[in-house]
Amino acid sequence: MKRYFFFLLSSLFIGRAAAQVGAPYIHDPSTIAECEGKYYTFGTGGGGIISEDGWSWHSGAERPGGGAAPDVMKIGDRYLFIYGATGGGLGGGHNGRILTMWNRSLDPKSPDFKFTTAIEVAASDGLEDCDAIDPCLLLDPTTGRLWASFGTYFGNIRLIELDPMTGERVRGNQEKDIAIDCEATDLIYRDGWYYLLGTHGTCCDGVNSTYNIVVGRSRSVEGPYVDNVGRDMLNGGGRMVIAAGDRVCGPGHFGRTIIDEGVEIMSCHYEADFDQGGRSVLGLRPLLWKNGWPVAGERFHGGTFAILSERRGYSLEMAVDFVRIQHERQGWWRTNPDEPVKPVADQQLTDVIGTWPQGDIKVRCSDYMMRPHQQWTITPVPEAGGFLGGPYCKIVIRGTDRALAATADLELTAVPAFTGAPEQLWRIEQLTDGCYRLLPKGIPGREGINTRYVLYSAADSTPTLAEWDFSTDNAKWNLKGL
Amino acid sequence: MLNVSVWEEKGFYMRVFPFFFLYLQQKSSENIIYHTMKRFILVCFSAFVLTAEAQNPIIRNQFTADPTARVFNGKVYLYPSHDIYPPEGQRQDWFCMEDYHVFSSENLTDWTDHGMIVTQNKVPWVRPTSYSMWAPDCVYRNGKYYFYFPSAPAEGGGFAVGVAVADNPEGPFVPEPQPIKGIFGIDPCVLLASDGNAYIFWGNGRCAKLKENMKELADDNPRETVKFGNREMEMVGVHCLKDLPNRQAEGPFAFEYNGNYYLTYPYVRQNTEVLAYAMSKNPMGPYEYKGLIMAEQPNGCWTNHHSIVNYKGQWYLFYHHNYFSPRDDKRRSACIEKLYFNADGTIQEVKQTMRGVGINKATEKIEIDRYSNASAGVTTGLIDTVNTFRSYQATLPTKGSWFKYDDIDFSMIADGYLVISAKASDNTEFCIREKNEKGKILARIKMNVKPEEPAGGAANAPMGRFRRDMRGQWLTQTASLEYVPKGIADLVITNEGNGALSVDWVQFKNRQLYFTPVDKKAAAATPDERGFIRRWRLMQPQKQEIRSNVIFTDSWLRETFANELAKLSKLKAIWYAMESPTYNMKLFHFAEKYGSQAYGNLFWCETVINCPEEMTDVRLAAGSNGASMWWLNGEEVLLLEGDRRMVVDDGVSKRLTLKKGRNTLRGAVINGPGLSDMCVRFVDEQGKPIKGYTIE
Repeated sequence: MKRYFFFLLSSLFIGRAAAQVGAPYIHDPSTIAECEGKYYTFGTGGGGIISEDGWSWHSGAERPGGGAAPDVMKIGDRYLFIYGATGGGLGGGHNGRILTMWNRSLDPKSPDFKFTTAIEVAASDGLEDCDAIDPCLLLDPTTGRLWASFGTYFGNIRLIELDPMTGERVRGNQEKDIAIDCEATDLIYRDGWYYLLGTHGTCCDGVNSTYNIVVGRSRSVEGPYVDNVGRDMLNGGGRMVIAAGDRVCGPGHFGRTIIDEGVEIMSCHYEADFDQGGRSVLGLRPLLWKNGWPVAGERFHGGTFAILSERRGYSLEMAVDFVRIQHERQGWWRTNPDEPVKPVADQQLTDVIGTWPQGDIKVRCSDYMMRPHQQWTITPVPEAGGFLGGPYCKIVIRGTDRALAATADLELTAVPAFTGAPEQLWRIEQLTDGCYRLLPKGIPGREGINTRYVLYSAADSTPTLAEWDFSTDNAKWNLKGL
Repeated sequence: MLNVSVWEEKGFYMRVFPFFFLYLQQKSSENIIYHTMKRFILVCFSAFVLTAEAQNPIIRNQFTADPTARVFNGKVYLYPSHDIYPPEGQRQDWFCMEDYHVFSSENLTDWTDHGMIVTQNKVPWVRPTSYSMWAPDCVYRNGKYYFYFPSAPAEGGGFAVGVAVADNPEGPFVPEPQPIKGIFGIDPCVLLASDGNAYIFWGNGRCAKLKENMKELADDNPRETVKFGNREMEMVGVHCLKDLPNRQAEGPFAFEYNGNYYLTYPYVRQNTEVLAYAMSKNPMGPYEYKGLIMAEQPNGCWTNHHSIVNYKGQWYLFYHHNYFSPRDDKRRSACIEKLYFNADGTIQEVKQTMRGVGINKATEKIEIDRYSNASAGVTTGLIDTVNTFRSYQATLPTKGSWFKYDDIDFSMIADGYLVISAKASDNTEFCIREKNEKGKILARIKMNVKPEEPAGGAANAPMGRFRRDMRGQWLTQTASLEYVPKGIADLVITNEGNGALSVDWVQFKNRQLYFTPVDKKAAAATPDERGFIRRWRLMQPQKQEIRSNVIFTDSWLRETFANELAKLSKLKAIWYAMESPTYNMKLFHFAEKYGSQAYGNLFWCETVINCPEEMTDVRLAAGSNGASMWWLNGEEVLLLEGDRRMVVDDGVSKRLTLKKGRNTLRGAVINGPGLSDMCVRFVDEQGKPIKGYTIE
């Protein structure tokens, strides 16, 4: 297990650092959508939240029509909204309507921001085994066909096909039941498989909500969606993707966002964030794929780590003189079994810090030997903002302020003191295979926020910065908690 | 695009086609203002799913003008013009048609759009941006389908008539490279006469014989020299309406019936068009004027255009009206009425109705607001004046107002319920009755649309959030049918409350079959393919006060089930022997029918497992919504606690032995506000189903 090192300065912050910051209050968030550099997600009841950087969220998104659990997808240069409206249910019934509408913008301040008239694409009459709310969209990348699933615990989850040009129901399309026992579903496609993600458990009970997300998969978008032990989701099957843990509970309403090849996140809401007073908040988590199944990664809180290259397994370290640990050598050939065992102490920072140069120190990779120049403390920097799913962090040698930084010539250095400069701030993302990638926020002499260059193994011993490439282990790193 | 100023420059055509010119002037001088709809709305609706159409207008997702109906292969095919909103750069207050669609129906209620068959930029002789694909016709002869259509030729002015040929009525149609020589005008109609010849009519009533190839005028047609001012022009064929009422006549439609030829046509009697007809013993006349088929459009829509067809022994008039474009009579929609002949062969005048023709299946989505008859004060109007294809509503303003809709076929409804789209201005109630406003009630629906203060005041305030003001909102209401009419019935909707009520559509459905009662003498059942036990004795649901399933802890359940079990033998509850058509027993629906409430019940169930031999190391596997407990031969074997959903094999018992002969399996399923359900089977140590027993 990881141990967390809370520095005095950041100890207050870390408690909140895990969740999205600002006012990320939402229930049933739609899949994250991007419009003119801002991120949007829309929730139950109308409205939604906006983020300039993907980390700090505030209210202000607008969606008319009320109702439950919308989804939003960009198709061409327009955004298609789908949402469920309880058609009356005057006595709390189950007659719902699924509606679609378009907008050219998500920004309420844009002159293009205008919703088309909502069109009904499906309905439940209140007596049939279906509750036509909680819809989601899937644009099948293999066929260009547009699908929607909807429904709640009240009966079946249903699949319909829509026309991607109009957002209308495809002529003659028949509803198909694809699951029971879940709600707020989502459909995704990856690598020859269609995945149906449903929310299981109990919602709307604060810190006692048992909401969790399960998945089944199929070779056909029309199912059958089967779980890892062969159980059809029509029989209640489903493999867990995410449940409670890490001071949040009740994850629901899955959404997948692909950031780069091999870099994916899932969005959801937590029914309750224990650190935010038990409110329902937006959750963004790395999305990992294990043997063809989606699994939520852990929220990254920082800590102290060995940063190991996936290429060779070497450790990122400062290029300083190796200081030997002095001790009485006990070769195996002359061990006296009767002598008491004396543990060997770890090398301490104070043992070596005096040998390190004063200015910038080069960075390289080498065998991990549990030495201070190989141990990095990673801490979120609240005032530095964040990216989609996480805060920028500083990476310093444990117990010091000496910080890992990018240089103008796309190399690495360890500067004597962290100043908050963009080249000293790091975007750390867990990849779909569980490894990590690390990007400096800025590169000296280059405009804007860096989204191209990542920490990269130029050779076994030589780290550098190079363009992101998921297909090579040179671009991947492991964080081994210390 | 037709442009009158161009026509004026070309005085020649003005002189050649004086009637047609007048007609254009009349149309263009109308000062009708309308607002162009955004093109995307049009796009949005162009692919709308048509599942059932019956009422007028018959096609409700696009405009359909000048409807020519023909019967081919036992089906009615409809070849209308396709009005659209003019694109930018085109004259906005004029007719605009760029292509043709064809529709078909077997019952005049369900229409299938077979899509576009001919478009202006794929016909070699047509000016590709003329948007003048006006009224067409289609006939079948010698194994081919010939589609006739007028348009503006690329070279020269005016209108010509072209032919496109297909092997099937839906196409694909291949247009001829040149229009028919000798025809200058619009609105072709082809008559296949019993004399073996084909005659083409066009414009203001001119007629000529076609060659056997259907693509050229016959050489032996009469010719006449017509004088236009100083110029003389040779015209082919005869002008059948020459001496008849013919002011601005157009759209001729000719047919033959009982030895008579009928030439029917719109003309301007006073200010706008009527549909009139003349009769003759010869296809090319002379024709004798007989009178009107349909009077002027009641709302002032300038044009009307029609066809007459006999389908399954009944004559029908197809015509158009601007129902979906009330401010602009250049966008029109096809309608149908029945048409009757008098004994002397004359035609009875036809009145326009909203109801139209055809018998609706009760299971269709019926636009019931297009009523046949209504009490005073009932009004109809577009639901959305911008998005007009949202169609119409009928409003019953006060208590006692009603409307009637004829001819709905209930023969397929057994255990039925209805779904109706309605809105109310205030709390009200209404009935759906048979025959008349005092007739037998099928269903009574209360609409409580006014928000109420939640009971319990401030303490229940959070619940109040879920109650919204539903006044004036379209709501889908459902109700079980107290009475199901036999066969074909007329329905009446009566407003019986104090709010104004508006109705859009109605649909009847059969309830799904969830349980079949098992006869006492029935043979023993077996587990299904996957080993599920589908036959149970279910006790009448026991009502429970459960507001939330969070109370289903192990100890609460144990105590509750123990108490209830102790009471069980003393209860005088009814038990039902039931078989489920699905692997799971949908207890929720059992409660709907046999319980006092759908939610909040305890269900007791029992079944007898009869084993031919002792079976060891079997497990009971169950899933339930919500919590449940299971006993085999009186011994507790499984508890599923908490707020469960029904998952196959959610939990299994320890290894059990099923003794030879009868084993009693008992279960209790308890649920608050959920969809109560259960599925039960026996599995072996590998989790595979066990099936080698019978169920008594």
